[in-house]
Amino acid sequence: MKRTLPLIITFFVGIVMVGEFFIPHYGYRMLTDEFLQWGLVLAAAAYLLGIVNLIQVNIPKITQRKPDWFYKLIMLLSLAITLAIGFIGGQDRQVEGAAYRWVYSSVFTPLSATMFSLLAFYIASAAFRAFRARNLDAGLLLGAAMLVMLARVPIGENLPYIGEGLGHLMNWIMDVPNTAARRSIFIGGALGAIATGLRVILGLERSHLGD
Amino acid sequence: MFDFLVRFQAMDRRWIFLGMAIAIVLPLLFPFKMPFRVDERVQALFDEVDRLPAGSRVLVSADFDPGSRPEIEPFYRANLHHLFRKDVKIVVLTLWESAPPLVQPILEEIAGIYGKTYGEDYVFLGYKAGREVAIKSIGADIPKTFPTDSRGTPVERIPVMRGIQKAADFALIVNVSSGNPGTKEYVMQIQGQYNLKLASSTTAVSGPDYIPFYKAGQLFGLAAGMPGSAQYEKLTFPDGKVPGGGKLMATASMDVLNLGHLYIMALILFGNLAYFITRRRD
Amino acid sequence: MELSTATLLGAWVSIFLTICILSFLYEDNPVYKLAEHLFLGVSIAVSVVEAYYGTFKPNMLDPVGRAATAVASGSDPGWDAVSVIPLLLCGVLFLKLVPKLSWVARIPIAFLVAMFAGLKLTGEANANLMTQVAESMPNLGQLWIDHGLWDWSADGAGVISGLVLVLGLCACLLHFYFSAPHNRPLRVVSRFGVLMLMFGFGASFGYTVMGRISLAIGRAQELLGLDRSLEQNAVVHPRIATLASIVLLVGVLAVWKLRGGKPESDEATES
Repeated sequence: MKRTLPLIITFFVGIVMVGEFFIPHYGYRMLTDEFLQWGLVLAAAAYLLGIVNLIQVNIPKITQRKPDWFYKLIMLLSLAITLAIGFIGGQDRQVEGAAYRWVYSSVFTPLSATMFSLLAFYIASAAFRAFRARNLDAGLLLGAAMLVMLARVPIGENLPYIGEGLGHLMNWIMDVPNTAARRSIFIGGALGAIATGLRVILGLERSHLGD
Repeated sequence: MFDFLVRFQAMDRRWIFLGMAIAIVLPLLFPFKMPFRVDERVQALFDEVDRLPAGSRVLVSADFDPGSRPEIEPFYRANLHHLFRKDVKIVVLTLWESAPPLVQPILEEIAGIYGKTYGEDYVFLGYKAGREVAIKSIGADIPKTFPTDSRGTPVERIPVMRGIQKAADFALIVNVSSGNPGTKEYVMQIQGQYNLKLASSTTAVSGPDYIPFYKAGQLFGLAAGMPGSAQYEKLTFPDGKVPGGGKLMATASMDVLNLGHLYIMALILFGNLAYFITRRRD
Repeated sequence: MELSTATLLGAWVSIFLTICILSFLYEDNPVYKLAEHLFLGVSIAVSVVEAYYGTFKPNMLDPVGRAATAVASGSDPGWDAVSVIPLLLCGVLFLKLVPKLSWVARIPIAFLVAMFAGLKLTGEANANLMTQVAESMPNLGQLWIDHGLWDWSADGAGVISGLVLVLGLCACLLHFYFSAPHNRPLRVVSRFGVLMLMFGFGASFGYTVMGRISLAIGRAQELLGLDRSLEQNAVVHPRIATLASIVLLVGVLAVWKLRGGKPESDEATES
């Protein structure tokens, strides 16, 4: 029961969803549409489950004064305050002057954007330390990268005599070798995803059930 | 000299960071406004939007958050200006949980500039969880996927949604995509199945990944990264003036990309030079 | 121009938090960690609030509420009654938190995983397998008519590029073929595939650099007040806010250092 029922559900739902692509029948689509709705709700419920889990993991760390307990406290406090103002604001949480909107634009936005912007500095450091033309392959990679970097910005486009040619060459790299390389990765990835999908549906892959 | 090169290679990374900061700040303070060209993929996107007759309905899936804002928000803004200017009706939704407080105010701000009425000319359906599941559901049944808009109004009471049952009922779909879920998932789940007209504005990181989709006709247009947004701005606002007094943020950033790229290229060149000289001596 | 106190305060807080995160570039420090955990808390809360109002409420709670009202008033709940099923599935999912009953949560998990597996299977097969294979086969006759062997003005389109594309794709695929040993002919083909892949990865690196710099530009624009109108800047004074934040942060970090503070990992400072 503990194993068989989830496996039967996996097989049934998986097969039905595969059929969605091939069977445009109205009745069948009603079933798949309903399944999709349940999927949406379950995906949203996963967020709520995650939050409970987060609290369960962090509360003991705070009460037992484990390393970084103060930061965990800040995290849970900011979580609680944002949740509170979000739910108090309700459907109007995003109107001008609402506390939730203020937290989003004055706290969440700069923190999120700056976290990602740090990567600009680290990629500069990586370019200096790790990007070496040690052999032909690395040289080609480096050459393509330099060409794209130069041709993709106005200074490269406006170089006298070679600017236009650089643009054409970059577009050729994007359209031909890049497309060939990407397509091979897409095709390989698709074959992998199909195989994994079939394994899940047929019950050969059971890691999601905790096996 | 040898010692210097060895020390140069082992330089504290904070000097590199400082150089990067200067390369970013200098051109912002002293812009030199170099002209740039529009590439074929952005032109194709603009032309297709430009051909839309007044009254057409377009779905904009705004799937980005503050983390990728500088790259694709300018496209989102320019695209909304373009669509409203052409009297096209706009339905905006998002599949990113952190997007609604970002994309909704922009939609309302630009709609206000053109005097558009909420519900009649545009609507924000809000966020839907479920990633690929949500996209599949949008392809099959929009009123079921979005029973209400973001304000809680049932979709059947929203005039702009009248007659819209599924994704294929829109003249075009524009996906402003910062990753997963985004363009790749739209292409996989519904573009081919329903033969949708889909365009994408995406981050520079995803740009090379989506070119095969454009080449295969799965996307009718593609604007990648800040240059893609700047090019769309250039096409939408040829005189450089934004109604409502806004700024062309991507266009203004192109100068910085110049210097930033040159700086990284110089780092690669000098790093390699020092590496090869010191390796030969070893 | 008049701005509310909240807006003004928000602009200054935003700049201060930006500087807090950027302080990581100097080294890992408590102010950065504080900002980092603040970000985690707020971002998780934003996700939950949006998931609730975007999906949970309109797609489940509202129809369940309507059905309950209909049943209570003795009328037919209609299709809304079906919404009880996802409600039950969600309830069962939460049993994961009860150790003795956690196995029951496998049912909704199995449902969701199977749904993704089914959707991925057809999506990948259609968009990334069939379409990409079909579109890679060049129409050489048409390419010859349109562009000849090589048309520089059309970014090198033509018969040569058509052939390079399809042969390059085959070579890349053969490079990833591990079911047979790579003998000499296969090695030569595979080598060509590797070269194509290097071109692709190089292009990706170039684009990645561009993307990363773009994100830093956005922050610099805010710190310098270039994303606001002149009127707003006259009230907010973003450059003064930036300077004040830097001074404040340098002071805090100096005190922290004087008290013997050290970064937890050497990662941030190692040279």
